[in-house]
Amino acid sequence: MIKTENLTKVYNGKKAVDGLNLEIAEGDIFGFLGPNGAGKSTTILMLVGMIEPTEGKCFINDIEVARNPLKVKEIIGYLPEDVGFYGIMTAEQNLDYFARFYPMDADERKKRIGELLELVQLDGVSQKVGGYSRGMTQRLGLAKALLNDPEVLFLDEPTANLDPEGVFQYRELIKQLSDEGKTIFVSSHILSEVSKVCNTIGIISKGTLIARGTLEELKNEFGRVGAENLRIIVETIEPLPEIEHGDIINAAYSETKRKVIIEAKSDLRDYISSRLLEEGVKIKEMRMEEPTLEDVFLSVYRR
Amino acid sequence: MEAKGLFNVARKEFIGHLTSKKFIVILGLFLIISALAMHQGINYYNQQLDSYKEQLSQIKEVEGIEPGYMPEKPSIMLVFMFMSSYIMMLGAILAIAMGFDLLSKEKETRSLKSLLSCPVFRDEIINGKALGGTLALVFAMGTSLLISLAILLIFSIVPSMNELAAILVFGIVSIVFLLAYFSIALVMSTVSGDSGSALLCTLVIFFILGSLLPIVGSTVAGMVTGDPPEPPAVEIQHETNESEGPISKGVGEEEMRQYQEELKAWSEKRRPITEAFNIISPNMNYQKISFLISNPQIYSAVYEQSTPFTSTGYFTGGGEAPSLQEMLEKVWKNILALIIFSIVFFAIAYVKFMRMDIR
Repeated sequence: MIKTENLTKVYNGKKAVDGLNLEIAEGDIFGFLGPNGAGKSTTILMLVGMIEPTEGKCFINDIEVARNPLKVKEIIGYLPEDVGFYGIMTAEQNLDYFARFYPMDADERKKRIGELLELVQLDGVSQKVGGYSRGMTQRLGLAKALLNDPEVLFLDEPTANLDPEGVFQYRELIKQLSDEGKTIFVSSHILSEVSKVCNTIGIISKGTLIARGTLEELKNEFGRVGAENLRIIVETIEPLPEIEHGDIINAAYSETKRKVIIEAKSDLRDYISSRLLEEGVKIKEMRMEEPTLEDVFLSVYRR
Repeated sequence: MEAKGLFNVARKEFIGHLTSKKFIVILGLFLIISALAMHQGINYYNQQLDSYKEQLSQIKEVEGIEPGYMPEKPSIMLVFMFMSSYIMMLGAILAIAMGFDLLSKEKETRSLKSLLSCPVFRDEIINGKALGGTLALVFAMGTSLLISLAILLIFSIVPSMNELAAILVFGIVSIVFLLAYFSIALVMSTVSGDSGSALLCTLVIFFILGSLLPIVGSTVAGMVTGDPPEPPAVEIQHETNESEGPISKGVGEEEMRQYQEELKAWSEKRRPITEAFNIISPNMNYQKISFLISNPQIYSAVYEQSTPFTSTGYFTGGGEAPSLQEMLEKVWKNILALIIFSIVFFAIAYVKFMRMDIR
């Protein structure tokens, strides 16, 4: 659905994107991660046909973007990071202006715009877009990206300006769009957000893709790099006894002795549960701390 | 190039101009001042008409007047002479106001990215913006001319077909003049990072082209040709002739003829230098064309140094007014210069926009 072949963009002699090879299957929700200046936005701009690559090619639904940018734009939706509109027009007028570039007649436009404004909860807002908050503008941007019922959706920092309610609605919408078989490309700094909505993730650094896979795959591959020790968290109803084992490096007990965070060289959960059972201490919770996407990201990025 | 995108952009821009406060305020001022200019022009026209009628009655009353001599009836185009001076200032400001933020504002508000993410070619965007702006300028100028015609009719001045054609040419030339500054503003809007810089740069260019360049041209011409020749002192001697009785005789008539020849030679030497500078000034081109259309006598006096002032202080007489074709033959270079000006600056805006880096 989305494919890049040796995609490269050079600005003033410096490679912003360097030989990027990427393939995202139809229906995937792909999270594109990377630090500032890694080349995320440049990649998106090439994929949506707004800038031409210096070298390489990119395809959307097998259409080469640089050769047929208009065809590609007809089947994609794009929400830029800093989305903007015409401040002297209402949301409806803005959407109607953009909708006129697509093959839609007046009735279709009116119906679609009504549906989208309702979806992003901007229906009935009569004020001009110039008076909108950043969150409202972001929601209007999402509506604009969905104007043509796109097959592929590119979202650059989609939740950056949204309130918790807006974020929740955004997640629901992404799930709904994914269920409809749409391919979604999400670039975000908010790692927790990516981990919640994306089923595949790519990490870019200095214009090059340095990791790619599902969140589980990335956790398994990179989650423990540089962190040899495991963290086991135990909470009990009665006070904890002293737990001793050769693999334990450190154990930090709470003041009430009802919680302990154990740093160990191996997974000691079986040993700990047996030990507590022997002492007659009831376990309220015991879990091993999983590496987060942030751990994975930092681990990959610092390699 | 798809026409759909072009017309969609042009439609939005045209409506945007007509509904923007900036346009409404400047157009309002423009129309008010045009109406005032018309009022001034009509007064001037009526004075000329009275003078003409007076001369006609003198011809009938006074004996010995040269047979076949008839004073020229003033044209209502005189009225538009006043209007042109306001167009040159306020019209240019209106055109600049319409163009300076056309693209820079879209960059500032990030709406350009939203627009470019739609299936529309870049050339459709820049062409659509130019078309929308041009239509808005045509609307402004058309409204102004319609109001002018209405005022003429209110004052019971009915233009002839030739005068209507001249008014139409005046309107077209005025639009081309406004387009020249609109194109400059569009270039600045394309190359500048923000609207403030775009406006500042456009105003600096407006000042250079409109005011500084003619002064520089005149100064350079003065340095090359030197000071104009001094006129000879003229005194009238009263003599008495035995057969003819008392007669008056001008002393120094020969010197006067010589002075006029020197002045003509000086002017002819100076003219190509000033014209070389003035041809790249939209204001000077427009002034020259509008003078020729609205008052051919003042044109002759200023640009050909051929018609002197009359005793009434006005430029009158001097043979028949040139036809529209003759007028266009005289100023075709200036009309062409205005058109080239608009085209060149629009071409720069076009190329810059097509190559603009969107990030």
